[in-house]
Amino acid sequence: MTEPKKLTPLQVVILLVALILSLFPIFWIVMTAIKPPTDWNASPAIWIPSEPTMINFRTLFDPDAIRAYGVGGVSQAATSAVIGSIIASVTATFISVTIGLFSAIGISRYAKNSKWTPLIILSGRMFIPAAIAVPFVIIFSNIGLTDTYTGLIAIYVAITLPFSTWMLKSFVDDLPREIEEAAMIDGRSRLMAHLTVTIPLIKGGLFATTMFIFILNWSEFLFALVLSYSNINTIPVQLAKYVTATAGTLYGVQAALAVLAMLPLIIIGFYIQGHLARGMTFGAIKQ
Amino acid sequence: MSKPKLEIVALRKVYDNGAVVAVDNIDLTVFAGETIALLGSSGCGKSTTLNMIVGMEQPTSGDIHVDGKSILNIPPGKRNIGLVFQDYAVFTSMTVYKNLAFGLEVRKKPRSQIRKAVHDVAELLGLSERLSTSARELGGSELQRVAIGRTLVTQPDILLLDEPLSNLEAESRLAMRKELRRLQQEIGLTIIYVTHDQVEALSLADRIAVMNAGKIIQAERTSKICQHPGHVFVAGFLGSPPMNLFQGRFRLQDGNFLFEHNDFSLRLSSAWSRESMPNGWVILGVSPERLGLVPREKAQVSGVVSRVEPRGPERVVTVIVGGQVINVLTSTAATPPLVGDSIGIVFDPEEFHVFNADSNLRIELPEAKVNHGEPANRTRL
Repeated sequence: MTEPKKLTPLQVVILLVALILSLFPIFWIVMTAIKPPTDWNASPAIWIPSEPTMINFRTLFDPDAIRAYGVGGVSQAATSAVIGSIIASVTATFISVTIGLFSAIGISRYAKNSKWTPLIILSGRMFIPAAIAVPFVIIFSNIGLTDTYTGLIAIYVAITLPFSTWMLKSFVDDLPREIEEAAMIDGRSRLMAHLTVTIPLIKGGLFATTMFIFILNWSEFLFALVLSYSNINTIPVQLAKYVTATAGTLYGVQAALAVLAMLPLIIIGFYIQGHLARGMTFGAIKQ
Repeated sequence: MSKPKLEIVALRKVYDNGAVVAVDNIDLTVFAGETIALLGSSGCGKSTTLNMIVGMEQPTSGDIHVDGKSILNIPPGKRNIGLVFQDYAVFTSMTVYKNLAFGLEVRKKPRSQIRKAVHDVAELLGLSERLSTSARELGGSELQRVAIGRTLVTQPDILLLDEPLSNLEAESRLAMRKELRRLQQEIGLTIIYVTHDQVEALSLADRIAVMNAGKIIQAERTSKICQHPGHVFVAGFLGSPPMNLFQGRFRLQDGNFLFEHNDFSLRLSSAWSRESMPNGWVILGVSPERLGLVPREKAQVSGVVSRVEPRGPERVVTVIVGGQVINVLTSTAATPPLVGDSIGIVFDPEEFHVFNADSNLRIELPEAKVNHGEPANRTRL
């Protein structure tokens, strides 16, 4: 076994700076979430609150709670945003990964791939989201899909499907064809060979892809903003709503919702960190 | 002889609209209970042939019969032909038991029958203790045994083995070879064994079909094919090192029969007659072990030693004669020549092979002998 490489002092300093830069926003959001309103934008800045409070978290679900501190202007609880995010993200992730899985198997096993295949699959992701948001809004308002979860889910599936297909294709590519052929020789149909052999063997990749697509959907802001009016809401949209005319930006409440929104991602990220690194390469290991 | 189990008739497979010919019009009959090896280098069409037999590839033309009936329209799972892949293709998401039971579960056999069959095969292959182990935890030879067992458990009519030992280490390969031989004798299956390793083919097969560029060059009994190659390709492919091949022609000069090569001439024995001597260009094949090294003044053919390669109890001495490379297999008991030494080569008069230089096919000669002007013993240095 090789000895781990010893870092030079300069490398240690660079890594420490990178670590601080990465962790500082998380530290600041968590601290802001437990600060009372008086400390939100105090000058000089208060790094660690002397009297931590959960008032910001309570305000998320009880908009009037913050009035105890003489702050008003929160008109809507975040409950609908949390539920909306769960509905849109979970459903869109399920559909995207399901379609992506069968597309990946099809492309990997049965399509004649050319050097343009990656471009064709990923081309949808190469447009600036704002550029495709406008046509989507126009089309969706004509067919009555704006301000509906159906519309939001449809667009989430559309924008994440290239990712799910490409990620899963790289996992299927890594699996020897002979595995499925062996199942077919043993009497399985093509479909059953994939269902009983291919899919169980790539379940690690399937899990990583599911989580990755869920994270994309969970944190999506632009399409949720332009497609939602009053019927649907998501956490990223709700975060933007904590800017009020009377109280200014409700930093503490905003931070509390951000912390809540981050929690599932951190837990998921912890469990899939190994797979995520692989998934983020998007098949760079083997096309 | 037993009846034909598998007949391959004018089988052809092309890709890219005919640009690539993987299998080129091959005919082969495999008899019941026989083990035949398809031997050839990578890309010669061996695996494509297997894939067509098992049904994973459809032939471009030709037919495949099992027990006299065409199987081309039967899907892979219903042909009752087992295939063991080079890369094992074991389902690592399952236990050894589930792997072995897979084929029978697909066929919806009763649970008790599956259990009995799995335990029987596991015992045959020495896997009884590993049945509850995840296939992910198995080593190379165990994975290979699971792959073989998964096929055997379904009792296939024909077992196809696609380079099944090539991923194993030397020791495991030897053990598995013995095990395959034992299985073959115990079960008496019809086996087609694909390999590029002639030692494997020679040790396991009753017959060997040598393939090159999609064609079967020669299919012959194992005991005969090395001693009696029917084609120049086979002569140059089998053996390690393979047969030395010299292109030249026979002629009669001053009452002596000669084999004339660009770089040397060999006087033939008086057993030759004008009738037995082929006309035109021929290729003379001589096995390295049928050559001997002598001091250069005692031989008709001499050259310079360019390489000496020890191989256990023997060594291969490469001698350059003009533009011709000649390999000589000698015993290590003798003092080895040194690179750069000038040395003579003697030919064993009992053993040489003649091929037509145009057709590359063997020419059968009556009692041909080479006269090298010296006693015919294999003088060693």
